[in-house]
Amino acid sequence: MVDAFVQLEQLVSAVHPLTEEDWEALAGIWSPFSAQRKEVLTTEGAVERYLYFVVEGVQRVYYFDDQDREATLVFTYAPSFGGVLDALLLQQPSRYFYETLTPSSFLRAPYVELDRLMQARPGIAHMVRKGLTHALSGVLERLVELQCYTAEEKFNKVLQRSPHIFRLIPHKYIANYLGMDATNFSKLINKQKM
Amino acid sequence: MSAVEKDQLLNGLERSVNEHIQSAVVVFQNMRSDLLLKPAPDGGWSIAQCLEHLNRYGSYYIPQIRQGLARQKKLETGGVFKSGVIGAYFTRMMDLDRGQKKIKAFKEYIPGVELDAHAVVAEFIRQQEMLLACVRCARRVDLGRPRIPVSIMKWLKLKLGDVLQFVVMHDERHIRQAKRNCPMD
Repeated sequence: MVDAFVQLEQLVSAVHPLTEEDWEALAGIWSPFSAQRKEVLTTEGAVERYLYFVVEGVQRVYYFDDQDREATLVFTYAPSFGGVLDALLLQQPSRYFYETLTPSSFLRAPYVELDRLMQARPGIAHMVRKGLTHALSGVLERLVELQCYTAEEKFNKVLQRSPHIFRLIPHKYIANYLGMDATNFSKLINKQKM
Repeated sequence: MSAVEKDQLLNGLERSVNEHIQSAVVVFQNMRSDLLLKPAPDGGWSIAQCLEHLNRYGSYYIPQIRQGLARQKKLETGGVFKSGVIGAYFTRMMDLDRGQKKIKAFKEYIPGVELDAHAVVAEFIRQQEMLLACVRCARRVDLGRPRIPVSIMKWLKLKLGDVLQFVVMHDERHIRQAKRNCPMD
């Protein structure tokens, strides 16, 4: 668990270094949490109560509707933040699900605590804003890939960026994330030397 | 037939199902189709055939197990489970460490050789994820209560606890068989 806090501190410092006092305050609001494979942590329609920091395992945020349409929006894995961020920060019912794809462990912080720190400490507010802006950059970059890249280019991009997830989670989730059908995905796997 | 702690039994089953998912995710799904379809050196089933064989059983048993669980309204946590005589016999037969090394499959469960290998692996993972949910759900019911008809003899009904053990043990048997076909890297 000490390791988890070390990882959290490293991630936070990489986003925006905090004063010792700010870090002490921030570190105080997290508690350990773990979940089994395929557990839904946030359901559509529910309020997102926690910001997660992933210590172990892979999770996804996904959209699912009554016509059985499914879109995997983002994968989270260590060391990164997780949860449905828009629902969290807007404190609105989530439009998405957050679920574990492998057994997972986290640190998590209740929104009320985080909000209190953001109001009281400009350094923490700034760190959160920078973190979110990086997340936005990631989303915009992914939109370009989704709109411009061929299936093979998208596949190679994921393989390059996150090669480990091919051996951690069922491929159907990666195919869904890329908007590809299983047959095309399988053709690309056959081309690989794995 | 001695009784076993229900939670202990289900912990073991959950661990096995997790391992089966793990094998498919780490190894099988990342292999090329030609390797998944390659017959065993002794002429036996390919990896895809082993998994297809399990999928056919799964597509019968998993919906049956789900229905059996859905019928149970009474919450019952903890307690013990006692196998039925026939249930225990089936489980023992499937157990590689205690039963026969080779069992002949029933005709309708012998998979062909022409398979869409990755689709077979994906279906296997989908079924195992469902089975995992069933095992977790089973913690809340009396494992002796739901009775589930056997695939090859529908008139014979076994206790849920026996069917879960039998299915997971059968999966284990053929996952080990499939793994023997994996090239060593």
